[in-house]
Amino acid sequence: MSPLEAGAAVAVGTLVGLDLVSVPQMMFSRPIVAGLLGGAVVGQPLAGLAVGALLELFAMETLPVGAVRYPDWGPGSVAAGALAGAEAGGRSPAGLLAVVLVVLGTAWLGGWLMHVMRRANVASVAAWRVALDAGDARAVRRIQLEGLARDAGRAAVLTVLTLAAGQVLAGAFVSGWQAGELIARVAVVAATVGVGIWSGWRLFGQGAPAQWFVTGLGAGALVAVLWL
Amino acid sequence: MAVAASPVPAFGAVLFRLFAIQAGWNYERMMGVGFGYAAEPMLRGLPGGRAGDRYREALARESRFFNAHPYLAGLAVGAAARAEVDGESPEKIERLRAALCGPLGSLGDRLIWAGWLPACAAIALMLVAFGARAWAVVVFLVLYNLVHVWLRIWGLRAGWREGLHVAGALAAQGLRRGSETVGPLAGLLVGAALPIAFAWQLRGEPWEAVGAGAGGAIVLAGVVRLAAPRANGMALAALLLGATSVCGLLWPW
Repeated sequence: MSPLEAGAAVAVGTLVGLDLVSVPQMMFSRPIVAGLLGGAVVGQPLAGLAVGALLELFAMETLPVGAVRYPDWGPGSVAAGALAGAEAGGRSPAGLLAVVLVVLGTAWLGGWLMHVMRRANVASVAAWRVALDAGDARAVRRIQLEGLARDAGRAAVLTVLTLAAGQVLAGAFVSGWQAGELIARVAVVAATVGVGIWSGWRLFGQGAPAQWFVTGLGAGALVAVLWL
Repeated sequence: MAVAASPVPAFGAVLFRLFAIQAGWNYERMMGVGFGYAAEPMLRGLPGGRAGDRYREALARESRFFNAHPYLAGLAVGAAARAEVDGESPEKIERLRAALCGPLGSLGDRLIWAGWLPACAAIALMLVAFGARAWAVVVFLVLYNLVHVWLRIWGLRAGWREGLHVAGALAAQGLRRGSETVGPLAGLLVGAALPIAFAWQLRGEPWEAVGAGAGGAIVLAGVVRLAAPRANGMALAALLLGATSVCGLLWPW
């Protein structure tokens, strides 16, 4: 990946990170979108989409509800898509396993950084309290802008970290992998689909949606068996 | 009466700001500052304008604590701004804001986070699996945001129209029917998408690999179910992948 492509990936990762909470929440931050965008940055959108679709199964567990601390999959998915597109190990099963591991780590880190950022936003409110309580529109705008700037910084850091760690780890995995490649692929698929099944059960396992979820699983399994 | 029939003042500016309502989200006022930011253009018409006491008092009030689902927050923004313009008492306006937090939060979570979002994601996953490529993402974004943007526009308009009586808008039949329908629909789609995504990934591989993958996925889901809430799927997936990595890097198998 060239420095220009890496820079573009960081820019896209930053915008995608802002989408999660700050603006505009149009779900560009979902891995299936972010992965495609990351791949597109290096001219290989479909390679990015393939990784993003896998990570989307992890993201199904995430409910971005108010004050809850939840992982941020967007910037990591952009980086993963770019790495896969740039063939930095993302297309070999062992490299894919490495990239997925890194994204799991940075998604968790993203949630933690969001918590830190929200505490910093409290400090902004404290600093502007007198003006806020006096109805000063500049104070309102300033707090919004400071929050946006912090969130952009958070997303940029996550993208850079995922790109750097993913590049290093994927390289190490591709060169040092001893077991069969299929084992890495099966592990990634089992982990993502396993989390997807759990997430589906958690969301729809009670009340009226439960029977629909089970019906869907059955129908999907039938299609899958015929297709396999 | 003239105000009742009037359109939302500065509709475009308020709608635009609603998309950034959570930019300054914090643990003290939650989205309260964003609420004030979004409502501000509607308050400029208060007697005395931006320099007037009514404007400053209203903006200070609208920037206090508030939390709800971001897509439905426009309903509260519109209603509170309308109450300010109508000259309602500060106590009534504060009660209105406080009363709307819970219902708007739970309705939005049920309708969007636990319904429409997973439904659209499941459709996109199935489309990717069946070869729709980048079109799957286009379909996802268009489908999802049709409802998202409509909710924001409808909420702002309904809030402004109803003012203090905005609770009636929440009982709208379309909204109620939507929240009842979307859960089962999403359950069906997510249920169908999981095995299809699995088959897409391991299609053409030996049956032993397919069996190992399916068994691993089911066991992992079961272990997460048993371990929750002490552990989540993400942590256990990392554990599984970490263990596989160590074994794969150390031993030829």
